[in-house]
Amino acid sequence: MNEEFSSVGKRITQVDVAAKATGEARYTPDLKLPGMLIGKVLHSPYPHANIKKIDTSKALALPGVEAVITFDDTPKKAYARSYRDSPMNSSGHLQHSDEYILNEKVRYVGDHIAAVAAVDEKTADLALDLIEVEYEILPYYIDPQEAMQPGTVPIHDWAPNNIPIVMDSAPPYLAQGDVEKGFAESDVVVEETFFASKQVGAHLETQACLANVDANGRITCYSPSQLPHLFRRELAKMFRTTVGMINVVTPFVGGSFGIRLSCQNEPICIALALKTRKPVKLVYTMEEDFTELDTRTPDYFTIKMGFKKDGTLHAYHIDTLTWSGGYLGRAQLAGGITLAWGLGHYRCPNTNGKVTIVYTNTTPTGAMRGFGNPEVSWAAEQVIDMGAEKLGMDPVEVRLKNIKKPGEMSNIGLSIESTWEDECLIQGAEAIGWKEKFGKPKQEGKVRRGVGCACMHHCSGAHPLLLEHSGAIIKFNEDGSASLMVNPGSPGTHIWGALAQIAAEELGIYPEDFNIVAGTTDGSLFDLGSHASRSTYVTGGAVRQAARQAKSRLLARAAKTLEVSPDELDIKDRQIFVKSSPERKVSVADICFNGIFNFEGDCETVMGAASFESRWNSPPTAAFFAEVEVDMETYEVKVINFVNAQDCGTAINPMSVEGQCEGGIQQGVGYALTEDYSINRDTGKAETDNFTTYKMPGTLDMPKSTEVIIINKPDPKGPFGAKGVGEPAMVGVAPAIANAVYDAVGVRITDLPITPEKIFAALKMKSR
Amino acid sequence: MARPLKSFEYFEPSTIDEATRLLSTYQPTVKVIAAGVDLIPRMRSRKIQPQYLVSMMNIPGLTNIENDEESLRFGSMTTLMSLERLLKDDKTYPALYEAIHQLSSTQVKNTATLVGNLCVATPASDMSSALCALGAKLKISGISTERTVPIKDFYLGVGQTVLQPDEIITEVIVPRPSANSGNAFLNLLRVKCDVAKVNVGVSLVLANDRCKEVRIVLGAVAPIIVRAKQAEEKLLKANSFDKKAIEEAAQTAAMEVTPITDLRSTAEYRKEMVKVLVKQALEKAWSRAK
Amino acid sequence: MAEQRVILNVNGRNYDISIEPEMTLVEVLRDKLDLTGTKISCGEGECGACTVLMDGKPCLSCCTLAIQAQGKSIVTIEGLAEKGQLHPLQKSFIDHGAIQCGYCTPGMILTSKALLDENPNPTPEDVKTALAGNLCRCTGYVKIVDAVMAAADEIKK
Repeated sequence: MNEEFSSVGKRITQVDVAAKATGEARYTPDLKLPGMLIGKVLHSPYPHANIKKIDTSKALALPGVEAVITFDDTPKKAYARSYRDSPMNSSGHLQHSDEYILNEKVRYVGDHIAAVAAVDEKTADLALDLIEVEYEILPYYIDPQEAMQPGTVPIHDWAPNNIPIVMDSAPPYLAQGDVEKGFAESDVVVEETFFASKQVGAHLETQACLANVDANGRITCYSPSQLPHLFRRELAKMFRTTVGMINVVTPFVGGSFGIRLSCQNEPICIALALKTRKPVKLVYTMEEDFTELDTRTPDYFTIKMGFKKDGTLHAYHIDTLTWSGGYLGRAQLAGGITLAWGLGHYRCPNTNGKVTIVYTNTTPTGAMRGFGNPEVSWAAEQVIDMGAEKLGMDPVEVRLKNIKKPGEMSNIGLSIESTWEDECLIQGAEAIGWKEKFGKPKQEGKVRRGVGCACMHHCSGAHPLLLEHSGAIIKFNEDGSASLMVNPGSPGTHIWGALAQIAAEELGIYPEDFNIVAGTTDGSLFDLGSHASRSTYVTGGAVRQAARQAKSRLLARAAKTLEVSPDELDIKDRQIFVKSSPERKVSVADICFNGIFNFEGDCETVMGAASFESRWNSPPTAAFFAEVEVDMETYEVKVINFVNAQDCGTAINPMSVEGQCEGGIQQGVGYALTEDYSINRDTGKAETDNFTTYKMPGTLDMPKSTEVIIINKPDPKGPFGAKGVGEPAMVGVAPAIANAVYDAVGVRITDLPITPEKIFAALKMKSR
Repeated sequence: MARPLKSFEYFEPSTIDEATRLLSTYQPTVKVIAAGVDLIPRMRSRKIQPQYLVSMMNIPGLTNIENDEESLRFGSMTTLMSLERLLKDDKTYPALYEAIHQLSSTQVKNTATLVGNLCVATPASDMSSALCALGAKLKISGISTERTVPIKDFYLGVGQTVLQPDEIITEVIVPRPSANSGNAFLNLLRVKCDVAKVNVGVSLVLANDRCKEVRIVLGAVAPIIVRAKQAEEKLLKANSFDKKAIEEAAQTAAMEVTPITDLRSTAEYRKEMVKVLVKQALEKAWSRAK
Repeated sequence: MAEQRVILNVNGRNYDISIEPEMTLVEVLRDKLDLTGTKISCGEGECGACTVLMDGKPCLSCCTLAIQAQGKSIVTIEGLAEKGQLHPLQKSFIDHGAIQCGYCTPGMILTSKALLDENPNPTPEDVKTALAGNLCRCTGYVKIVDAVMAAADEIKK
């Protein structure tokens, strides 16, 4: 650490968690408004069908039902779940508005076609059963390979062969050299095909919305949305009103993981509220979440890498087949990111790739934590191991040889501001005992052990792809405490604490001096939202800027009191002092009081407000090390040790960073070993539609021991040197485990998840 | 929200006689409810839609547990947790202890009844396999009737038992294993809290290094629990009970079933794991018998 | 079905209310008694988010009929702190970073309380076993186990 910080770097507790520990915290499903109705949605039981007729008369006649709506009752404005066609830049061409609030045709089992608002849940539920729908069943396609065949019935009329988008080439900054020539020049070439599966977000708070239209026709939408300001804009378009007529409020949120980037049932809820002119609460069941909400975008990858005999990566090609759903969701972006994050990770003179996005009659897909990076890393981090094996080199060494250095081009096309990926690899390898454990001669006995690694680089925000704009306001009270007004609600990522630490550090006061006022679009400056691991880096940047402004006001006022010029002053421990003679000081509280209760004609509420755009993007990097034990009778895989080494710049709060990493391990272990979304091919229905069928790790399924290493070296651009960590925490967990399994038993599982059944089958195949 | 339950009428009889009469009166749309841990989710998902529920909570005597030299007997409202506690100290029934212990959810164990689990009649019930291996019997009461049914004869198919519309299980009787006997239970799961992919319960009695009695019970590999009869025969006929005999029995057991592929596992893996688990369970039971 | 009058003892207080037999305990707690600290998540007894204590034992309130909770003493997360004094478990969860989104937290804390009431000296394995029926998607459980172990130490003092 270069600097001595007072607030940044401390393991402080979060101000918003006390309410969660007592049950006071209200999440959207907990909210109540007087006269509130309960909404419920009718979902399609068929994967692909035209709706010939919907008769809602019986449902409407049921006492207690106040509205029943269908496609006909809602504005005919198609939207994209990813609603980024606002002033976003280069990714704009990847958006297609292909959904309606309630759809006129059904494109997956679970598609939303009608909705009811009634006095209570029971009545709403009964009303759904009374809606009569006549369907014209159409052929349906579950797998992208079948959906894209010539002669298939289009799921969307404008996408022949169900291929809405093809990117024939990687983005220009990654379509470099000559890939064919590169492979010809390579000494070692490896190629393999992989499947990265459809992981469910599985946040415990199911999707919920409470919508209210007031006497002025203004809409308040309570929702767990991760992007409230953008969402508000999309809602305004959908409902043909103006942005100023909508307030999006995000209460406490029970987990998002990127799923809540998309609007889900909010437009339906608002439509019901507009129809009834009463507040309507619409809460999904877990089954609805599993079948209706975006999931991680599954992909098929064919990855080819060519190496020189010294281990240098010389040619690299990625072919991605992105398995979208009945609507695009965020599939197109997720697919594009697999190319950029894949090809952009290692230094290589000859790179290119292709992405084909395919519509299928399944649940739409989106941007789950990592947004394409865990998917492509699943594949690429195994291929590099395959290359290392053929080269006769240690996989850690091959990675060290090819990872990028500061100043080289990042995955997003910018100059890398800082990277300690090498430290992550070196320290992680040391922690797992790599030298002693990797590549040991073939073991005998009931249990085989192995170690594996993976590494990655990600992003802190999405500049230059997206407009990285956030804002913050700091307003002091007369006692020296302050309101910190930002947009992100309390999504559970400990962002409030980090922002308070940043503000406190800049201002020379304490994190507990801040009262966070957040969670409404009305009460916050524009903020792009919580995604792409940007909150600390960009919103934190805005907070630091606002703090600087407030500080300059404190110093300006104190300068008059202390009769010096402002640049002779600084603030520490809530005291504004003269740098050259610190015993001359005045408290922050006194200055603030004097600003508010000022009888000399100099009234002022000390404050700072900043709009901040991040025109940089410092990639966080990380390395992941797994030690596994494979039972050679049952083929079960146990993760004994897991090391998650993160270069997230300065850790604003190391305890929070550890929490992200430990949680990332849970999601990564689930992705790797136990989470297996299964679709019944005969009906198109998800067989895994709740936690009985879809298994994510519990306490007893986690690795026996986990270790988080925080490199903690500051980045030149992030606030106090911070970079993102939310997504990086999980990106390389699954391939590290796959590589460890290979080290242990000599078979490589290419399709997620790695199950005992697959290991059994692979070993049987191998022994033939 | 979770989906609201559909309406029903709720009864809390205070005698078994009352309960059985209610069941008879309101068949076929009546169900018995114990804690509801299994019943309520199934009602919520509309898999079943009873219009009447008969609670067993107020009937005295159904939580009694008796354990003596003859048998372990427990009432049908006995929770999994109370049994687990008892069996942890009394090491005579490790198969049953293991079947309950591996059920990971504390909440489920505290409130759910073992008999409730049996009545659901799922192919993968761990309790069923363990109890069948121990030769357990079920005491069943109907209106003015009482009978005892060995658990091996209790199941007819998925979700189907021999219970008549007016009948309820009142007690489970587990004969005390003799000296020179051992029993064990094993299963395989995707995660610790899960429905078994395969489960196996075994018990055996040895005499002079030979297998005098044996039960090998396989679960989750057929619509109901299966006694691996041919494997048992092989063991009984074997000249001595040893590693080789165990391996042969395990291989035979695997050939006696044709499991399916579903979202939890594949047919090939299940078949192979029958062999593995039978072998491991027999070895464990053997070490306990010595 | 017609409503029935029941008396439920929740957090030390008797509530005299009318409910339909088909109402589950969690619905009554949240909708009738406005105790929204107990959460509904999976609705099928797999996640533990709906955990309350019933006569001191953790129980899945989404799988329990409210009518069957009569005569039992029920404790929800709201009933743990005494006059603003947080229970050591609550304090420990806060201090150890064991709470992220917080949706699993009420269930985790109550199940942990039942564990510590019965076993004041648990090992980390004991804690993990006790919490096996409580799912969390945010924390990876590591700091939750740390928090329970620390609370156990604190309670012993």
